[in-house]
Amino acid sequence: MSTQVPASDSAAVPGAGRNRPASRWVEPLLLLGPAGLWLVLLLVLPTLIILELSLVPGIKPGGIVNPVLTQFPNYAQIFDPIFVSVIGRSLLFAIGVTLICIVFGFPVAYWIAVMSPKQWRNLLLLGFILPLWTSSLLRSYAWITILRPTGVLNTVLKALRLPELDLLNTGILDFLKFLPNSAGWATPIIDSWVNLSLAVFIGMSYSLLPYMVLILYASLEKLDLRLLEAASDLGASPKQTFWKVTVPQTLPGIAAASLLVFITGLGDFVDPELLGGVSSMTAARLIYNQFLGATQNWGFGSALSMVLIMAVSVAIALLIKYGGDSAEV
Amino acid sequence: MRSGTSQSRSDQVGIYTWANYADETLIEGFTTQTGIRVLPQDKFPDNETMLARVLTGGGAAYSVISPSDYMVKKMMQSKLLQKLDHSRLNGLDTLLERYRSPDYDPDNRHSIPISWGTTGLIYNPEKLPDGPKDWSYLWDNKEKLSKKMTLLSDVREVMGATLRMLGYSYNSTSPKELEQAYNKLKELKPYVATFTTDTWQDQIVSGDLWLAMGYSIDAFSVISSQPNLKYVIPKSGTSLWTDTMVIPTSSPNISGAYAWLNYLLQPSIAAQYKRLNIASPNQAVLDQLSSDYRESPILFPPEALIKASEGIALVGDFSKVYDDFWTRLTSGS
Repeated sequence: MSTQVPASDSAAVPGAGRNRPASRWVEPLLLLGPAGLWLVLLLVLPTLIILELSLVPGIKPGGIVNPVLTQFPNYAQIFDPIFVSVIGRSLLFAIGVTLICIVFGFPVAYWIAVMSPKQWRNLLLLGFILPLWTSSLLRSYAWITILRPTGVLNTVLKALRLPELDLLNTGILDFLKFLPNSAGWATPIIDSWVNLSLAVFIGMSYSLLPYMVLILYASLEKLDLRLLEAASDLGASPKQTFWKVTVPQTLPGIAAASLLVFITGLGDFVDPELLGGVSSMTAARLIYNQFLGATQNWGFGSALSMVLIMAVSVAIALLIKYGGDSAEV
Repeated sequence: MRSGTSQSRSDQVGIYTWANYADETLIEGFTTQTGIRVLPQDKFPDNETMLARVLTGGGAAYSVISPSDYMVKKMMQSKLLQKLDHSRLNGLDTLLERYRSPDYDPDNRHSIPISWGTTGLIYNPEKLPDGPKDWSYLWDNKEKLSKKMTLLSDVREVMGATLRMLGYSYNSTSPKELEQAYNKLKELKPYVATFTTDTWQDQIVSGDLWLAMGYSIDAFSVISSQPNLKYVIPKSGTSLWTDTMVIPTSSPNISGAYAWLNYLLQPSIAAQYKRLNIASPNQAVLDQLSSDYRESPILFPPEALIKASEGIALVGDFSKVYDDFWTRLTSGS
């Protein structure tokens, strides 16, 4: 049972598109033209320039651009294990933060959209996205104040006679050392780059949660509650209703929100640097160093940028695959 | 933003400088004295960002820029700076001896030094009664300092300090020496809380950190508000930095630029230097200031330590090797 709007006439009537008179193109052109032009000039063209720069070995600012198509030294450099770990770190942060935001954001959005009293909805939503009105840099600094050894968190824990935590220096895999017989295999994992900083996950999830909630709310608001009633009438348990009715209906919203959080998380280098301790180099910061650092290796920086763009393109492709279709029950 | 074309308007001047080098009071003083308006001061966080902006044409609005020593040399090589006409400047003859003809710009042909400083260690003597005397203190006491010390977030400063401790130069271009320095840093890394240029300030005051690597200018302001902290310059020497003022070739108001430079060279605005915590390289300015400023060992360390220190210079293509070691160090593999 699809609740989508039926397909437009031009598909239902074959050949209609081909015979449109020229004047019918004026309206779409006028409406989409400015945005299209903006996209081409400010998105497509710069991306093509980055692509061109990435094909020139060792280009420096002011150098002559001579793209080479036979070998790709800028790209080959990326396969050096250090850089692989840097890109891996960025991807893991982005994916991890996206998952955390879905897990924490969906219940909040569901409650606001479906279960809270109607007259309070806008206020609740406003309250939740209020942090977005402050500078994101300030919010990251605030997390340092909360999580540092003599910070707010530990002051509260001390007052409650609980053990204090040093969350700024904890990795997400540190708990492995508490497992029995772990000394041999756990230590290399804890020391490797995969043991990402917990504080960064906290800081980044906090910053990106409002976006997740906002977009999920927009999707959940359109949820037809009668479908949920119908499902339970037909004998579905609440769990079955959730997974077989609610989630498929809101999948486009989940996909869109996840994409936004993923892309933003991938490009964030402020949180890893402020909260991530000594091993905090991310792909975004690496690119920054190539362009604005001492090496001025624009070719390598461009190649890295293209890799990030490709990662994002894969994410968008997944969005189209899982989020674009009309919901099927 | 800016109305009309700001090209060659003789009544305003644009400056591009570090965040704490010019503020309202300083600018108002200038306008009162000369009648020239200062366009909202633009700030940059580091030299490379400034260079990137100037190279991509964004520097055309500025009449005066404040690059650091090594950046002056780089900009000179890229022909971005105007040659200074010393006859239009007053006060150059009272510069301290070592600033009359610095390495990065012989005879100050393209730049004037405006402030200088060092990099050192700020520590809490209550927690560390046997305070550090040299960089090696960090390695010798790493367990005690575990996660209670920070290093600067700058590859040249951190690698340079380690090279210095090993007896080499801050500007080494020997892969073997750099490898040694890198291995030493890898040894220290598990005990370092983080690499940061400014977040250490709050944390050393609150007690979260016991030791931080920082610039003298930041140390001076932190210690002014928290006098029980101490700043020490390591015995084996440290990096000596100088910030300057230059006039770019694209400067739209050259006479305005000279007016600004002369304004800052005047001894009478010496008090402003004190307020902004800047160590002046100009003897005439120093003479005007109180002894607690002049004799502050933080801002003006003893000659012996200055002689042991060196300025960070360009290393050309070798900066890629430094960068690679830095990426490896901050990647946790």
